[in-house]
Amino acid sequence: MAAFGGTDTRARKLRWSLLNTLVVVYALVPVLWIMSLSFKTPATLNDGNFIPREWTLENYRSILSTTEFLRALLNSIGIALIATAIAVVLGTMAAYAIARLQFPGKRLLVGVSLLIAMFPQISLVSPLFEIERTLGLFDTWPGLILPYITFSLPLAIYTLSAFFREIPWELEKAAKMDGATPGQAFLKVIAPLAAPGVFTTAILVFIFCWNDFLFALTLTSTERSRTVPVALSFFTGDSQFQDPTGSISAAAVVITVPIIVAVLFFQRRIVAGLTSGAVKG
Amino acid sequence: MSTVQTAERPTPAPASMTPEMKKAVRRTGWVRRAPLMPALIFAILVTQLPFLLTIFYSLQSWNLVRPGSSEFVGLANYVNVFADSTFRGAALRTILITGGCVLIAMLFGVLLAILLDRPFRGRGVVRTLLITPFLVMPVAGALLWKTTIFDPLFGLLNFVLSPFGVDSVAWVSQYPMAAVITALVWQWTPFMMLLVLAGLQSQGKDVLEASATDGANRWQTFRWVTLPHLRRYIELGLLLGSIYVVNTFDTIYMMTQGGPGTSTTNLPFYLYQRAFLGFDVGQAAALGVVTVIGTIIVATVAMRLIFRSFSREDS
Repeated sequence: MAAFGGTDTRARKLRWSLLNTLVVVYALVPVLWIMSLSFKTPATLNDGNFIPREWTLENYRSILSTTEFLRALLNSIGIALIATAIAVVLGTMAAYAIARLQFPGKRLLVGVSLLIAMFPQISLVSPLFEIERTLGLFDTWPGLILPYITFSLPLAIYTLSAFFREIPWELEKAAKMDGATPGQAFLKVIAPLAAPGVFTTAILVFIFCWNDFLFALTLTSTERSRTVPVALSFFTGDSQFQDPTGSISAAAVVITVPIIVAVLFFQRRIVAGLTSGAVKG
Repeated sequence: MSTVQTAERPTPAPASMTPEMKKAVRRTGWVRRAPLMPALIFAILVTQLPFLLTIFYSLQSWNLVRPGSSEFVGLANYVNVFADSTFRGAALRTILITGGCVLIAMLFGVLLAILLDRPFRGRGVVRTLLITPFLVMPVAGALLWKTTIFDPLFGLLNFVLSPFGVDSVAWVSQYPMAAVITALVWQWTPFMMLLVLAGLQSQGKDVLEASATDGANRWQTFRWVTLPHLRRYIELGLLLGSIYVVNTFDTIYMMTQGGPGTSTTNLPFYLYQRAFLGFDVGQAAALGVVTVIGTIIVATVAMRLIFRSFSREDS
């Protein structure tokens, strides 16, 4: 700030706010435009008006009345929640070991787990497809949950160990000196301190699983476990929707707006999570 | 957990230790590693078993279209991969997409971070809105760009440019590469911005004041004081970004399907085509192994950098 500070004249203030407005417009126009399209009637879809001239909820009604989209929504939420829960538990244990304990070979172990994060997913897709078909996991929830846990673990470990390193662990010892049992010390002192980091990690991991397309596309074949991104990609092809633009827009709004609201709600946490891993880690 | 923390840092085993003592040190080492193990074993099972299978497939001539065609062919698939001009093209385009996206996103990221580093009313909200593209489902983001911005009929871009005499340009089919990179830059700029912003905010105010006292103007201060400080953050952003953007699949699948022709086919999409549309398991596996080796080389460099910041923090 000081680098570009100096005395703030009125003109300069105006210039900055103009710049900021431009920047926000750049980030948001695509999102706002798709919202506007989702409320337009087929006839006015391509009139280029930013605000729809005729408002309609028809697009929303059409996607929410088909099982195609609803079922995908259910699959997405269920799969992402389960994968997040397991990944966060495993990740918390691992991050605890990394942040807290000294042992030989720690660097190597951390290195291996990070390398796995960088392992190109595409090269695993066809063998996973074969393995899952043999094991009967193909097109099931566990069939997606397993790879999601694996590929979100490094993200979880990375973020969590950055948070855990900031926790004043001496407090645990102090609590024990004051007569708390190890269990009490952990539950009453450490857990509350660790909770924000775990929560942030859970949000990030959930978004990661929720956004995946590659595994969802290749490891599912029916509505039984197809998730939202794949269902969305099928809207463009030969589905029951004649002109899919309106429905696509509505579906995109349904899946995007909750994320944006969540980000607005938890923005401090998410920013901390996204940067702490990379910067302090 | 309580058993472990009694001896926080094991003393390095001196040469005079008895074998029993060494054993004890080793045992506590394993107790300490224990919490890390489930995650590690899990990750190794799910990534390395399939990868071994990939290596096995890559030595076979196996096409799902011809049942029972599986036979051992040695390195023939690898020879084919390197003789394949589409593969070379895909590799080049992967580099182009990754490099282009990451560099442009970083440039925007630095500019936005400088903007956001100033206190102003509503900064929190602006920052959140700026992060949004990074968190929007990439499939939805790609669709959004394709169907609402670049579309020749409904597209916002043509609508905005129409007063300037631009008429019904089919952006995605005429400029496929630029279209894909634009969508990716939109998605990745927030990530770069956050990293650089963290860097800017970790910079001591006194340094900036000192440089101002020494008579540096704002550009000079930025160029010679702030930018060197940001270097580590910029490097980290470029590397982390590259690791993910190299794997870009959804954006290309949704926007162009690798086309027109193969003009936007990158390695992940080419691999997918070979395995799931061409059913050529052996060939796709060899491609996969080559991609993995390439990635490991890049990742090793990335790890060095990450560990550099790790150890700096620990010391």
